[in-house]
Amino acid sequence: MADTSTDNSTSSAGIDLSQFYQVFFEEAGENLENMEQLLLELDIEAADDEELNAIFRCAHSIKGGAATFGFSDVAELTHQMETLLDKLRRHELVPTPPMVDVLLQSGDALKAMLGRHQGSGADAIDTTELLFNIRAMSLGEAPAAVVAAPAVSAAVAPVAAPAATQAASGASQAASSGAAPTAGQRTVELRVGPLSDLAQADNLVELFKEIVDLGTIEALPDDPALEGVRRFKVSTATAESELMDLFTFHVAREQVAFLAFGQAAPQAASAATPQAEDTSFGFFDNAPGAPGKPAVSASTELVSAKPAAVAARPAAAKADKPAAAPEASTIRVSVEKVDQLINLVGELVITQAMLAQNSRGLDPVVYQQLVTGLTDLDRNTRDLQEAVMSIRMIPMSTVFSRFPRMLRDLANKLGKKVELVTQGEATELDKGLVEKITDPLTHLVRNSCDHGVEMPADRLARGKPEVGTITLAASHQGGSIVIEVRDDGRGLSREKLLKKAREKGIDAPDSLTDNEVWNLIFAPGFSTAEEVTDVSGRGVGMDVVKKNITSLGGTVEIDSAEGYGMRVAVRLPLTLAIMDGMSVGVGEEVYILPLSSVVESFQVSTEMIKTVGGSGRVVEVREEYMPVIELEKVFQVPRFDWEHNSGIMVVVEAESGRVALLVDELLGQQQVVVKNLESNYRKVNDVSGATIMGDGRVALILDVGSLVRRSRH
Amino acid sequence: MGMMEKLDVQTQQTELAREYLTFRLGDEEYGIDILKVQEIRGYENPTRIANAPHFLKGVVNLRGTIVPIVDLRLRFGCSSSEYNAFTVTIVLHIGQRTIGTVVDSVSDVMEIPVEAVRPAPEMSSAIDAAYIRGLAQVGERMVILLDIESLLMSQDMGLID
Repeated sequence: MADTSTDNSTSSAGIDLSQFYQVFFEEAGENLENMEQLLLELDIEAADDEELNAIFRCAHSIKGGAATFGFSDVAELTHQMETLLDKLRRHELVPTPPMVDVLLQSGDALKAMLGRHQGSGADAIDTTELLFNIRAMSLGEAPAAVVAAPAVSAAVAPVAAPAATQAASGASQAASSGAAPTAGQRTVELRVGPLSDLAQADNLVELFKEIVDLGTIEALPDDPALEGVRRFKVSTATAESELMDLFTFHVAREQVAFLAFGQAAPQAASAATPQAEDTSFGFFDNAPGAPGKPAVSASTELVSAKPAAVAARPAAAKADKPAAAPEASTIRVSVEKVDQLINLVGELVITQAMLAQNSRGLDPVVYQQLVTGLTDLDRNTRDLQEAVMSIRMIPMSTVFSRFPRMLRDLANKLGKKVELVTQGEATELDKGLVEKITDPLTHLVRNSCDHGVEMPADRLARGKPEVGTITLAASHQGGSIVIEVRDDGRGLSREKLLKKAREKGIDAPDSLTDNEVWNLIFAPGFSTAEEVTDVSGRGVGMDVVKKNITSLGGTVEIDSAEGYGMRVAVRLPLTLAIMDGMSVGVGEEVYILPLSSVVESFQVSTEMIKTVGGSGRVVEVREEYMPVIELEKVFQVPRFDWEHNSGIMVVVEAESGRVALLVDELLGQQQVVVKNLESNYRKVNDVSGATIMGDGRVALILDVGSLVRRSRH
Repeated sequence: MGMMEKLDVQTQQTELAREYLTFRLGDEEYGIDILKVQEIRGYENPTRIANAPHFLKGVVNLRGTIVPIVDLRLRFGCSSSEYNAFTVTIVLHIGQRTIGTVVDSVSDVMEIPVEAVRPAPEMSSAIDAAYIRGLAQVGERMVILLDIESLLMSQDMGLID
């Protein structure tokens, strides 16, 4: 935080705010994401008021937080955005695509700024142009500001005034041409409350006095009828909405009310009561005769300003209710705490399994209570484990939400027209997996847009709709999640792929099946784009995508029809932490096979295993010969009883290949907690991890993919 | 011996003497920095790992973490490596990792003043001189002070990728 002016925040509050920084950064991040999504969804022709308000609120919250914590650059930019958004939501300006673009760019700039304040070490961001553009849009191009009544021009002028004081930027000349500061001078009564601590209102007074040319403020005696409410007499030319924004740095919006000076309206203080409307009518009638009214000219001001204040109150009250509910029902917890919980539950599951195993020999008649207790424990630990695991599950929408923006930019850059359709956003996936799947998915979506979808003219020439469609779909299938990236573009060309593969020196005979040809694109250094663009086409990628997904225990499948599009399906386990396993015995040792990769198992006799070329061994399963892998040899299992003969074949499948594993016995199926070997040791060949068995011993989990690959060499 | 001097300077700055956990491997007595020791446990049969070096006995479950077990006797080429009631596992905390080492027996925790540590002479042995901090004379006994961290983290131990 090199050049942030933290002095105003620390001096005024007198406490160390740094402990709240993290919360601010998280919230600001969420608000930014929210704003981006809303902006992208915004229908320019018929902008919805609710949406515009929501966007405005996002910018406003960021501004509030940034100003409190002294991030003046963030506050300044959001302030300008807010000015523009405010006009949009008040229909003083009509939204245009350039405005959305500028707002999106501002969002990016804010993200970068926040990143810098968080210590990402990035350079300071130059926002001069952005600020200028936003200002130009909100002032220069605003016909409403020129034509409208004094009320509107009064609203324009103060917009720039706080900006000038906050940022001391010299670019506010445009704004100062707005209106003479004295034009709308008037006196109003400000009511703040009900407050739990009356001293809170003093902050408002200080803030008010700090800002030059805002006017005067003096305290009025408290009204005994209004408990916890402070009253002030305010003389100002600034619009009430601007004052409101200012005050909401310290108190909630619905705690601030403006009334004509001297107007006694007790009900008005209890904002958002049904009487609010009635009061306003009374207020309307009495206003001209109210004592302390300065000039006749100001009556127009009151008339125009008042409905705004009244309208703001029910709106604030309405917005308050749905907003409060999610706040109360969710809490922020660090991932470490959740992981710790998961580890502890994992331990509990192991202990429970150990107890269950040890109690098996007990006579249920004698130890009836103990056995019942253990059964309950079994059920409870299982439920607990499921509940805890579900904490880590987050919906796919968190991944999908980044794509609309990315595709929009990408399509603009490439001159293509693309529509993104997402399906199954509610499908849940482990947080750890979500983080790791984002990059590969991004790559696939980019590829679809860059290589798949054709230029609009080409599409029309082929009789396709001008706008290409890219579909992202997520769904649960058994114990896995399947994420599909589909496009209706040109699809893969068999000839091109084969030609390219041969150019790259890959052995690619014409006899390859379609599936094998499609899989060529996963070869390192393979790229089919005719031109290398800065988007994709350098050939780094698909192989990395495949590698990343495989390392997560997932698979990638490609389907394609030339001229009609392609589909890439990524299949992933739901979680990396727990797995259904099948334990097999080899000699004295126990190994775990992921149940998802086990196809079948059967008994064999030695004569069923044939050899090919002396050493290669195969077994016939349902009229198909399959390579045999003897786990005993792969893992050099020591043998003590030479009489013993392995007699069980377990057929496993991975990476579209099958092998038969020769083992001694099948021990059972169980849920295993997957532990990492690498955290204290290193990667072991053909082993994907380890787990702790019911007896407390460690068993290794086999990496079926690697065993299948082994059979191919 | 540039590294030795640097180490000596560091120790002098912080403390004049260091505490060492001493243990026996065959007839030899070794000492390691006590601050690296997490706990001492009895020996339990580890799960064997295929194709690992012979001194890597396997992995055990230490309260839910998978910990590799290195038999220092096999690493240092001791004549016998029996597993009996006295065989113990010293669990070490090195960097972010937890590693178990098997030794014949644990003897003592002793404070060895820096000036009692002599540099080890250049010689050929199963232990590279780089992993020996020095030799210390304690009464009649000679304690070999190991730099256990660089020993276990070295490439030829094969404990890390």
